Amino acid sequence: MDEEQQDREQPETVRCSHPESDCSPDATDSLDAAAAAAAISSHDPSLSDRDCGTEGPFPGKSAGIKIISSTNGPVEPDLQGPGGEGPSERTANHSEVSVGEVNGRSRPEGAEDEEDRPEDVSDSASTDNTLEDSSEFVVTVLTRASLEDQADGPSSEPSGLSQTPPPSNQDEDVTAESWRQHRKHVFVLSEAGKPIYSRYGNEEALSSTMGVMMALVSFVQTGDNTIRSIYSDEHTVVFMQQGPLVLVSVSCSRQSEQQLRAELLYVYNQIVSMLTQASINRIFERKKNYDLRRLLAGSEKILDGLLNLVDSDPSFLLSAVHCLPLASALRDSLSQILQKAITPNLVFSILIAKQQLLTIVQEKTVIEDARLEPADLHLLLNLIGASSAFQAGEIWTPICLPLFNPDCYFYAYISYLDPPDCTVCLLLLSTDKEAFYAVAECKRRIDEGMRAQNALSSIAKAHSYSASQVGVPDLRHFMYKPFDVPDNHRQLTQFTSPEMEAPYSSEEERSRLLDLYRYMHSRIHSSSRPLKLIYHVAERETLLAWVTGKFELYTCFSPLVTKASAINAITKLLRWIKKEEDRLFIRSPPKYSTTPNPSKSSRGSKGASDRPDGSDNGFLSLL
Amino acid sequence: MLMISPRMAAGMQEKQYTPSLLNFFIYNPKFGPREGEEEKKILFYHPSEVEKNEKIRNVGLCEAIVQFTRTFCPSKPAKSLHTQKNRQFFFEPEDNFWIVMVVRNPMVEKPNKEGKPPTIEYQEEEILDTVYGAVLQQCYSMYKLFNGTFGRAMEAGGVELLTQKLEKFFYRYLQTLHLHSCDLLDVFAGISFFPLDKMTYLKIQSFVNRVEESLRLIKYTAFLYNDQLIWSGLEQEDMRILYKYLTTSLFPRHSEPELAGRDSPLRPEVAGNLLHYGRFLTGPSNLKDPEAKFRFPRIFVNTGDSYEELHLIVYKAMSAAVCFMISASVELSREFCEQLDSLVGPQLTLLASDICEQYNINRRISGPEKEPQFKFIYFNHMNLAEKSTIHMRKTASVSLTSVHPDLMKILGDINCDFARVDEDEEIIVKAMTDYWVVGKKSDQRELYVILNQKNANLIEVNEEVKRLCATQFNNIFFLD
Repeated sequence: MDEEQQDREQPETVRCSHPESDCSPDATDSLDAAAAAAAISSHDPSLSDRDCGTEGPFPGKSAGIKIISSTNGPVEPDLQGPGGEGPSERTANHSEVSVGEVNGRSRPEGAEDEEDRPEDVSDSASTDNTLEDSSEFVVTVLTRASLEDQADGPSSEPSGLSQTPPPSNQDEDVTAESWRQHRKHVFVLSEAGKPIYSRYGNEEALSSTMGVMMALVSFVQTGDNTIRSIYSDEHTVVFMQQGPLVLVSVSCSRQSEQQLRAELLYVYNQIVSMLTQASINRIFERKKNYDLRRLLAGSEKILDGLLNLVDSDPSFLLSAVHCLPLASALRDSLSQILQKAITPNLVFSILIAKQQLLTIVQEKTVIEDARLEPADLHLLLNLIGASSAFQAGEIWTPICLPLFNPDCYFYAYISYLDPPDCTVCLLLLSTDKEAFYAVAECKRRIDEGMRAQNALSSIAKAHSYSASQVGVPDLRHFMYKPFDVPDNHRQLTQFTSPEMEAPYSSEEERSRLLDLYRYMHSRIHSSSRPLKLIYHVAERETLLAWVTGKFELYTCFSPLVTKASAINAITKLLRWIKKEEDRLFIRSPPKYSTTPNPSKSSRGSKGASDRPDGSDNGFLSLL
Repeated sequence: MLMISPRMAAGMQEKQYTPSLLNFFIYNPKFGPREGEEEKKILFYHPSEVEKNEKIRNVGLCEAIVQFTRTFCPSKPAKSLHTQKNRQFFFEPEDNFWIVMVVRNPMVEKPNKEGKPPTIEYQEEEILDTVYGAVLQQCYSMYKLFNGTFGRAMEAGGVELLTQKLEKFFYRYLQTLHLHSCDLLDVFAGISFFPLDKMTYLKIQSFVNRVEESLRLIKYTAFLYNDQLIWSGLEQEDMRILYKYLTTSLFPRHSEPELAGRDSPLRPEVAGNLLHYGRFLTGPSNLKDPEAKFRFPRIFVNTGDSYEELHLIVYKAMSAAVCFMISASVELSREFCEQLDSLVGPQLTLLASDICEQYNINRRISGPEKEPQFKFIYFNHMNLAEKSTIHMRKTASVSLTSVHPDLMKILGDINCDFARVDEDEEIIVKAMTDYWVVGKKSDQRELYVILNQKNANLIEVNEEVKRLCATQFNNIFFLD
């Protein structure tokens, strides 16, 4: 039955942003080469040579991670074994062992791992594709990152690493009252009921609870039905199945089921970003009771970080990206710097400061074929934010963008441009796993370009704004998300929002306001009874949520504002945003072309045809 | 209930099914704790034809769900389970006694090309938990009104007596549940009060006092006019469920024979008694009948403390109805009923026409009713007072509302929003259909207004609601 279940589930869960049928073979090589290479066999030289369109500097060399200390120059740490490994079996063994070592160090239950390992090694050795290797590479780098966080890493010494990590959630007593009182629990388990992740408390200790969860899921399933959620006076329990994984959220945040489900999807996608969906499905097809923690060891921190971010950052709620306000001239010049530093198969160049987007430059054919979804960018931002080990130097790691394509890897180059402060981060995504040195060279050029224009100090001066700058009395806070701008409707969905200030300066009040926004959001976007406008007067504030064909707006006023003055304030606010939009948003994301042969104009129009037009209805007609 | 969608094309009909009752069962996990004895846990199961193992499985699932949610909060277990096809509601009215109601989600059946079975699409977000949770609690309250608590039945006759009582009551009661027409009024389960001037009110009070004085057996009295309450001696919670029974079950069954023609068979036997229109709605239908039985329904009130069992006598003259409640330990005789009839009948007839006259005068003063620009529901948690201009008539079988069901659900949503925080609030929303809906909560009162003006803006809507509050609720302060 399980097998059938999987077969049935799979087509649903493979959510490609561009369905396979869309990708005509002649047109997609620059991108899908990597997918194909990763999915079929990255060690087939004919494939990688032809389709990647590049002579890798080290042909046939397995893609290990490289943590390269910025001070010492490129050094390849001995995590991966010597380069130039040919047969995939040996590579698999190697990476498996290195993960094992890390496991042994990071988790006290090493003995159990010891016992399981031989079986497991034979398992991955028996297969002739290397997807799992790649995934393990990610895991290795992440594990390593977390280890280095806890104790000063052996191979690197920047100051960023010496911070003490927060106490681990993993050691919590799962029978204690304090465990029960967490605002939101998240559990991930396999269809066989094996624990994969728990936000609080050790998965081992929770294995019986997770067993019950799986029992409930499969019990309802046998009645040809699907469990969705359980409500009690205090908690909402939401179940979600994604392929062979079951995700459960137990929350007393009073968020809507839809919102909690969206958050679980972020968790699932973060796991996919490390392993790819195809690989997860394959693993469980082969072995139902596989312990996925084996592959995710060390990445708990990334999931913990994601969940904390989801709770505190409205970007996730709005499915939009928050840009750092920047004079448009400065943003343009940054984009130009990125635009100039390119290499074949580079597809995205992203510049981030203070956890917010500065600019993003995309490969031409990519932007015509599919855009980078905000959700994928959120996962990338979380990955970077989750570990200070990325501050160590240069990172080269495979990473999957689940909404872009859940089954293939990109290769991400991550490096901070302003050590030791580490506020400005460069992220370069390539489809070529061998391109590390070429991409690192891009970074060098970007570095140079920034230095020449003294861009870093200009960025350092950039900061978010305060609601009082809008000049509207009674307006305390707002979130504004324009829908696709007509002249460039395939750009990244963005939103703008001022800093939360008094009376929302305390952690508690901030999260109370976010909860209010979440509640407004859930009502206005209710799947069965959506609304156009909500005006909510309560004792501590007055809120207005408004969705039109052009934008989505949430505003918070002082409680004594009158309806007339609130409407007046919104008119003024919209005018202010219009005036400031060049500074608040990335208006026209620049493109570059890295394909040697850019005669592929035919499919741009094809890709565009199936996308809904950003046309709208009435503007300001409501007020 | 099946409704054919208007969108149907020739031969390609799309069928819309409203929510319906799938299962209703009552169990006690303590009654069959050992394996193999699970069936003993089940005290009642509807539909009874369901195969034994299936019953056991469904009860098992509920136990598991409840147990599972206790992992996270031992004192607040699950209240509902949502699945693709249905919703299950859990209610533990007495220790370890669980009542579970399973409601199938509304669904749309779309026909496919020849040979293929139709596609069924479940509408998972249509059912409001608060509404159906309230319906389930009402089921228990109604059972308790006529049967007392589960615990008392267990003491009196063990599991056997309890299952008998459950069978007897729910077999009929479940047929009267109309799940497709439940809405916000079920959440309030309020009482509609009859508006009255002081003078008439005092007349009614003195009537009640006189009757209670003359017939000392009477323990409690309740007075209703036009299906609306005027006076009650019962505790609020007991009156709430009794009111529900009277207005949705008893009164509709005895619809106004006074209004029927003189020769209609509905007209009561008034020969020899032309002095009044009084008659018994419970007990003997004709006092003159020598075969008449003097048996009245028993009800249980104050089950929390004094636990009283009472005879329920409902006596009606024209639009005025009075409930007299007498301790069940007293045997009610023909003589008592005749005495009551001759005492109450004439007075109540007179009083009923007085009230009617007063009511008509008041109506004339307030002017001719023109179609208002709004419809509203009002509820006061303190006295359970409820008023709706949305519902035309609420009976057991139909709840006719004059607004679109989606708007009714928006009212339900706003009601849930009010429950989030315990403070005064106002919520104004504009629906996709451009209707404006306003909810106000002040102190213990809630007011919901649906406005008909689609092209109004927020400020106009606000003005309109202000006007409504000034005319209908001028003494109640609502947050502006």
